[in-house]
Formats: sequence, C-alpha cells, structure tokens
Amino acid sequence: MVLEATMICIDNSEWMRNGDYSPCRFQAQADAVNLICGAKTQSNPENTVGILTMAGRGVRVLTTPTTDLGKILACMHDVEMGGEMNMAAGIQVAQLALKHRQNKNQQQRIIVFAGSPVKYDKRVLEVIGKTLKKNSVALDIVNFGEEDGRKPEKLEALLSAVNNNDSSHIVHIPPGPNALSDVLISTPVLNGEGGGSDLPAAAGGNDFDFGVDPNLDPELALALRVSMEEERARQEAAAKRAAEESARQEKVEEPSSNSQDATMVDSADDRASEASGNNTDPVQAITLSMQTPGHNDPSVHDVDMSEATHEEEELAIALQMSMKDESDMSKVLEDQSFVSSVLASLPGVDPNDPSVKDLLASLQGQSESEQKKKEDEPPNDEK
Amino acid sequence: MSTESASAIQKSQVDLVDFVDWSGVECLNQNSSHSLPNALKQGYREDDGLNLESDADEQLLIYIPFTQVVKLYSVVVKGPEEEGPKTVKLFSNKEHMGFSNVNEFPPSDTAILSPDNLKEKPVVLKYVKFQNVRSLTIFIEDNQSGSDITKVQKIALFGTTVETTDMKGLKKIEDH
Repeated sequence: MVLEATMICIDNSEWMRNGDYSPCRFQAQADAVNLICGAKTQSNPENTVGILTMAGRGVRVLTTPTTDLGKILACMHDVEMGGEMNMAAGIQVAQLALKHRQNKNQQQRIIVFAGSPVKYDKRVLEVIGKTLKKNSVALDIVNFGEEDGRKPEKLEALLSAVNNNDSSHIVHIPPGPNALSDVLISTPVLNGEGGGSDLPAAAGGNDFDFGVDPNLDPELALALRVSMEEERARQEAAAKRAAEESARQEKVEEPSSNSQDATMVDSADDRASEASGNNTDPVQAITLSMQTPGHNDPSVHDVDMSEATHEEEELAIALQMSMKDESDMSKVLEDQSFVSSVLASLPGVDPNDPSVKDLLASLQGQSESEQKKKEDEPPNDEK
Repeated sequence: MSTESASAIQKSQVDLVDFVDWSGVECLNQNSSHSLPNALKQGYREDDGLNLESDADEQLLIYIPFTQVVKLYSVVVKGPEEEGPKTVKLFSNKEHMGFSNVNEFPPSDTAILSPDNLKEKPVVLKYVKFQNVRSLTIFIEDNQSGSDITKVQKIALFGTTVETTDMKGLKKIEDH
C-alpha cells in the first residue's frame, strides 16, 4: 500500500519480434505491463503510473505518471517495434519524469523491461544506479528475452548499485510455457516486498513461523506463537531459578531438568525451524515440543481432554505448556485473563461452551497446584 | 565592539529545533541506518556516536520546513575532523530541490567550514538573507578530506521567530 509513482520503461526494439514467449515477446511484455499497471493502481488509489518506450526513434514518453488506467492501456496500442533499446537514456528520462510528478509525497520507482542485449559497460550502469540511489529512486528490472552471457551480470551490478534496503528487485524470466505476466505475479515486482495482499499469493512460496499460514488458521498460529514465547520465557526463568536453587535445597529432579531445559531450548528452536522448513503438521510440532521430559510436575499432563474438540485440544495443549511457568506466578495469573480474552476472541471458540469452561477451570486448578507445590507440598489433584 | 554586539545579538537567539516541522523533513542520499534525526533531533544529536552519513557519494541534501516563519542567525554543524562537511550551501524557501538543480540557483549563503566550526563554533550567516524563512535546504557539497562518505554529528539552527499567530493558541471567545 505504499504511495508510489512508477515509470515503466518498455523495450520496443526489433528484438521483441521473436516468438519465444507466446505470441511474441512484445505481446507478452504488453500483457505484463497491463498487469503491473492494474496492480499498482489497485494497491493504492493515489498511485500513478507512466510509460515510456526506449527504442524506436529514441526515448519517447507515452504518458506521464497518471492514475488513469484507461489512458495507459490506450497508449500501449500505438507502440511500434523497431530500432535498438537505449536503456541508459530511458532510465534518465524516467527519472526526470518522476522528478516532475505532481504529488511529491509519492515514492519514486522505475520498472525496466530489458528484452534486448545490454550494450553498456558495467561501470556505466553502476554510475546510473548510484544516481538513482542518490535521488532515492527504486528500480525493478525484468530480465527476459535475449540471453547473452554478460547480461545478467550487468543487470545485477546495476541492481546492487541502486539497491537501498531491498527496495529494488530483479527478475530473470527465461522463455517457457508460462506467460511473462504469470511469472511476474509471484515476484516482488508486483508484490512490493513479497507477500501480495491484493493478488493471491503463490502456493508454497510463503515462509511462516511454525509452517502455519496465519491467513488459513489464525487461532492455531496465534496459539503456537503464544506458547512459543511463553516457553522461551519459561526457559529463561527456569534456568535462572535452577541456578539459584542449586545452592538451596537439593531437588533430585533439578539437575536433570536443568540440563534437559537447556537442551530443550536448542531442540525447540531446531524443531520450530524444522517445522517451518518442512511444513510439517502443526499438531506434530506441538507434540514434539511436548515430548521433552523432566518437568517437576508430570501430573500436570493429565488434563481431562475428552470433552474438548480437536481444535480446542491443540489450543489447550499449547496453553498448558505456557502454564508450566512455575517461577513467575503473577505473570501466569495475568495470562489467565489474557488466555480467556484470547479464547473469547477466537472465532471457533465460544467461551460459554461448557467444555471450554471446564478447560479453563482445570488450567486454573493446575496453576494453583503448581503454586502450592512450589512451597514443597505435594501437588493437589486437579479438580 | 563588534564581537560584543555579536554576542549580544546571539543571546536572544533560540535553538530552532522546536520549530522544525518533522513531518516534512527530508534528506537525500542519506544512509538509512545513519539518518537525519541522528544529527537534528534533541538527544540524538548530543550523542557523538550517532551520525548522519551519506550513502552513494559524499553529498547530502537536507530539507527542513518550519512550523512558523523564522529568522535564521547562525548555524552549528558538528562533525568528525576528516569526514565532516566542508562546503555547505544554504537555500531559504526553496522546496523539493534535487541534486540536479541545486547548482542552478544561487544559494542564500555559502559556508566553508573550518575545523573549528566542526568543533561546534557557530557559523554566523548573512542575517539579511534569512529574514523570512519558511523552509531551509542545506546542501553539503563535499567534506574535509574528500572521502566518499560525509559524516555529520550535529546540526543546530539558531535564530528567532517572527511573531506569527499560533493557530493552536487561538481560543474561542465566550459569548456574553
């Protein structure tokens, strides 16, 4: 949703007559341009897009940055192929057009379609890139069409000269069965910083924590995230407490749980990264983290889960893990209200549902029992 | 005599950092991790470890609008001995300049900073040129040692405000 003024530099040289993209390179490019214009104007109504051609009789601006999509599409009809592409001049003219944009609050961006061979030196391109960076203009390069050995290198050099904070991108599209525009959909050229909000994201191209897409399953993702954070906090607290208590009364389980806690931190991190990398079943991820042994009150594991539904079960397990924070009871009790508010806000869970109420009560009972155990009394049974 | 009167004038000057309109402040060619607030904002600018640094080359273009009209008396630019700025051009009331047109207008004032200036000795400006300043553009053209990166630790502007109406202070008159 960034407010942007974009200039698209089109390659309309003789090289665009080639048919390796269907129906011909030029048509594929035109479709891609239409797609980009639509996406830009959709993502923010105040975005402007302008078009210029780099070949033909010389660099020619077809439209200056405008919000009018119809005008842009109409201009594309009149473009004729011929001549050779003059990329340096094209970029400079684009820069000038952006400089004179009406709304100075817009970020400046140039999108270059590089279909013909690049005849410039790397150094010249780097100078151009630096000038763009100096004037805070971002650059997107679509490398398609002619492939000669030096071209990708040169374009990458241009990109690194311009790039400021990853705002500039390069996309290499080899000829193939997919249309140019289809390939572009999943790239950062169309999606800003990757992960488009307006266009459907390409399947499997997203990296989320825990391998769960928050869009698909928000309550599960939230529960996992909450439990992960609580777990980490608990680990740190447990490590501190273990260090203190080792000087105090000896608890036989302490040393073993200390080392196990330490390993658990590492293994939990590993598992989390594994889980996100392999997209494993989130239930598996939870059960993995549950399997770590050596906590002072194994009896807490026994919660009556038979009444809960599958979703609530996972949620409850995650909450249990977070409830095991023995040292910081006030935090847990606060979390209790947080927990109930979280539950209340989840779409699938009705807080007045008797099974949910039972769950909450049992969790409360556990936390009370943990508190009592801390004073070296035998653990109470849960309610 | 002149120094006495100069210091006398200086006593009534205030630090104009309170009148900077932060929503419109811009800086071209700054390194994003070493940005303008490091040199301009109270607190950050006192920390010599936090600098404003240039990015692609040694020039910097800083645009500072004010919330009201001010008169500018002097400016303090503090920087390290080698990478601190040398030639500084000031433009008053020119909006949205770029590096390409910065040499087309004559600056309202030009200052060549000496190492003393870089140690916080204020540069006194041509007061007559800065009587009615709504915005200030600072163009740092090069630095002391000619290196590729210019570093600025602090930029402070001194002057007075012109008595303009502060719209926020206007209160509705009660009907009798």
